[in-house]
Amino acid sequence: MTTPKATPPLLTPELLAQLERMELVSRKVFRGRMKGERRSPRKGQSVEFADFRSYVAGDDLRFIDWNMYARLEKLFLKLFLEEEDLHFYALLDTSASMDFGDPTKLHYARQLAAALGFIGLCRADRVRIETLDQSLHQHAPVYRGRHNLGRMLGQLEALQPGAPLPLAQGVRNFCLRNSGKGILVLITDLMDKSGYETAFRLLVAQQLDVYVLHLLSPEELEPPIQGDLKLVDCEDRDMAEISVSRPLLERYQRTLAAFVQGARDFCTRRGIAYQLVDTRLPVEQLVRSYLRRRGLIQ
Amino acid sequence: MSFLDHFSSMLTPWQWALLLAVPPAIVALYFLKLRRQPLEVPSTYLWHRTIEDLHVNSIWQRLRQNLLLFLQLLLLALLILACLRPSWRGTRLTDNRFIFLVDTSASMSARDVDPSRLDEARRQIEGLIQQMKPRDVAMLVSFSDRAQVEQPFTDNRRLLRRRLAEIQPTERPSDLDEALRVAAGLANPGRTGERGTADVPVAEPLPATLFIFSDGGFRTIPQFAMGNLKPVYVPIGADAPRNVAIVAFSALPHADQPERVQTFAQLENHGPEAVSVEVGLYRQETLLDAARVQLSAGGSGGVEFQLDQAEPGFLRLQIEDDDDLAIDNTASAVLNPPRRAQVLLVTPGNEPLAAALATEAAGKLADVVLAAPALLDTADYQRQAALGTFDLVIYDRCAPRELPQANTLFLGALPGDDRWPAAPRQSAPQILDIEREHPLMHYLEMGDVTIADGTPLTPPPGSRVLIDTDVGPLAAIGPREGFEDTVLGFELVGTDPEGKTYANTDWPIRVSFPVFWRNTLIYLGAATTEAAPISIQPGQPITLRSGKPVEAVRVRDPDGRWHDVPRGPQNAFLFGATARTGVYEVQTVKGQPVDQRFAVNLFDSTESDLRPRTELETQYEKISGSGELETTRREAWKLLLLAGLVVLGGEWYVYHRRVYLPAS
Repeated sequence: MTTPKATPPLLTPELLAQLERMELVSRKVFRGRMKGERRSPRKGQSVEFADFRSYVAGDDLRFIDWNMYARLEKLFLKLFLEEEDLHFYALLDTSASMDFGDPTKLHYARQLAAALGFIGLCRADRVRIETLDQSLHQHAPVYRGRHNLGRMLGQLEALQPGAPLPLAQGVRNFCLRNSGKGILVLITDLMDKSGYETAFRLLVAQQLDVYVLHLLSPEELEPPIQGDLKLVDCEDRDMAEISVSRPLLERYQRTLAAFVQGARDFCTRRGIAYQLVDTRLPVEQLVRSYLRRRGLIQ
Repeated sequence: MSFLDHFSSMLTPWQWALLLAVPPAIVALYFLKLRRQPLEVPSTYLWHRTIEDLHVNSIWQRLRQNLLLFLQLLLLALLILACLRPSWRGTRLTDNRFIFLVDTSASMSARDVDPSRLDEARRQIEGLIQQMKPRDVAMLVSFSDRAQVEQPFTDNRRLLRRRLAEIQPTERPSDLDEALRVAAGLANPGRTGERGTADVPVAEPLPATLFIFSDGGFRTIPQFAMGNLKPVYVPIGADAPRNVAIVAFSALPHADQPERVQTFAQLENHGPEAVSVEVGLYRQETLLDAARVQLSAGGSGGVEFQLDQAEPGFLRLQIEDDDDLAIDNTASAVLNPPRRAQVLLVTPGNEPLAAALATEAAGKLADVVLAAPALLDTADYQRQAALGTFDLVIYDRCAPRELPQANTLFLGALPGDDRWPAAPRQSAPQILDIEREHPLMHYLEMGDVTIADGTPLTPPPGSRVLIDTDVGPLAAIGPREGFEDTVLGFELVGTDPEGKTYANTDWPIRVSFPVFWRNTLIYLGAATTEAAPISIQPGQPITLRSGKPVEAVRVRDPDGRWHDVPRGPQNAFLFGATARTGVYEVQTVKGQPVDQRFAVNLFDSTESDLRPRTELETQYEKISGSGELETTRREAWKLLLLAGLVVLGGEWYVYHRRVYLPAS
């Protein structure tokens, strides 16, 4: 286990400046409870014109285009783009396995959640930060508006590696706690011996726009080990005896690649956006280029 | 040879115990090392998935995990086996005293075995030395026509090997006799006898095995009994060597035209096939003439060249074709300027003698100085006589007070010392016989010579009577400290009481008279005729004479080294450093041109006949050749160490495949 000597700040001013110009995009149409600063695919009331449609009985007379009626003697409704708010959930895996790496995967997850949350705050979205080890009735606060940045960062910084809870159990609890639609970013290392499939199915069933950010530290991607070792699992104290050899390491790489590919395929087939994240990649770069490419951010 | 004989370990039991303790130590260390180090990781999830299919064939996996251990144990096993020094073949040395006789004669330089016979002998001896056990002792003797103890008995194998490497080939003929005597010194000690008891050895005999490495070409059969020596004759050489040799080469003035030179050479083919060789005649390095000679297998043939000018110098005859022995492909002959004897004739007057020494033929042989007997009293004469200025002094009816450092010839007088006692004169002695074998009397016929009177001689011991008459010896030659005194007991010219001269003999008018004086100048004056061939065999000493009274002459050998040769007691310069074949140049006075040469040639049919003799004969027994002596004990430890090295390399490879080094 590696402990960072000094925890770097979650968000740097430069990153904040960059994030202000971004917004979260959902690939699904959601109805927000409050109008947000978000242009929704849904037509509605705003100042931005979208289209016309024929009047049907019961439509709001305020939206009839009377100029059109004068010219064509037909009633048309002017349709405007609706602006709405968005639920943004960041679900963090805080299991002990996340406390590895330099900086730790957990810290990286915090940074990532803070960056994405800040984007949401800036666009008046409803931002909620949750962890997998939260109990069923333990609700996390909802943040809206950038004045809540401090509170959100405070919550993130207070996150500690928690008790090991299977991924599926944590996700189930989350789903039960939050019934609303929106964007869910699950930040985890997927190191759960019971598998991730159940958890992902639950999320799909929730009709959330799910993004899985699969964090792996360099120690997991390219283990710098040698000799005859007894590997101890930090969560369940399970042991694996290995004699490190080049073929073994090659075999590990193949297993890792198969694992990652399996998760990616599983997600792709179920409309879940999957992104493998090497924690050596700076958060700024990840947000700026990778997530934008994945369509999470615009 | 039992199985255990294949091993000859040098280790003591303690060292063995130490060595055998290593494998358990390695195994123990391996298992100690195998205590795995715990390492906390985020998850063993992927690791379990990685190694789970490895467990399917876990026995193989376990073996593979222990591969390093097996390699280390294998390496150690190889090392231990190497320490056992396993070997095969090789001659077992059963005794503990060995004598190695190495033939270094000219024929051992033959290259019919690669690289040469001597090197082959060295290799085989090296193999035997290698097999010597710690307490074995060996002696190393090299021999050609003389034997040299290169290394007395020692158990120091390194010393033996060094001495062996230092043995150089010679160009001498070979003779086993002396080498055997040298070798037998300790094995067959001399015996002594006391009155009344059986003779006993002076020392305890120490039997030894005598290895003779030679091609067997000896000139003489050794008169030697092996006694306590156990001889092993190891013939060295290929079965059918090719060799064409020059066995004789001389250059002589033409009989009729003295200004021309005739050279004769005899060649022998010792190879198994008829050959045709080209021979070239060179003066210094200039090719003068060449000829092709056909030689049947084992046959011989001659070649003759005629040269127009007989310049002093030397001629070299060279067989241009290559064969197995190079030394006998070259022969040299020298053309020395004539050496004229320095002769002093002390006489009150002797017309016939003066006439005989004044002939043209005599003039070519000697510078004759005439002097009256009064000279004998002068200090000048005494100094010259003591210095050996003259080669020959002829005293006619007179005698010196002290005999000179020269050969002498007395006519009608006695040397004056008590070795030649005087006797009364006898009249009319009849010549009964002359010593025709003596060089002085060659070609003489004295039956027609009449002598009026003479003094019978009583020559000293060791003398030879030259002319025997009915009254006793009338001429004799006797030795004196390296010189020879010749006494003729009769005058040629007598003087009667009135002082008139008369002829005491009619010899001066006989044919034999000038011939006798010519013989005298050549034999006693050591004069040489023109271009007299002077050739000796390598190693033979040569007596040089000088026309000038010098204390030392200088001789340059074919390698260009100068040797100072001091004058010997016989007014001669004895030079013995003639080991190399070629032309030797003699310089009488330092800085002056070379005035004499002599040639050293092998000219030895026995040496040139390269066929290795299958058996060695002494006067008392025959020693069969042991065939190809497989002396080299084929040691396997080098192979084992090599295999160990390979295993080490494999271990290195396995180790490095196991260990992952992250890229920095």
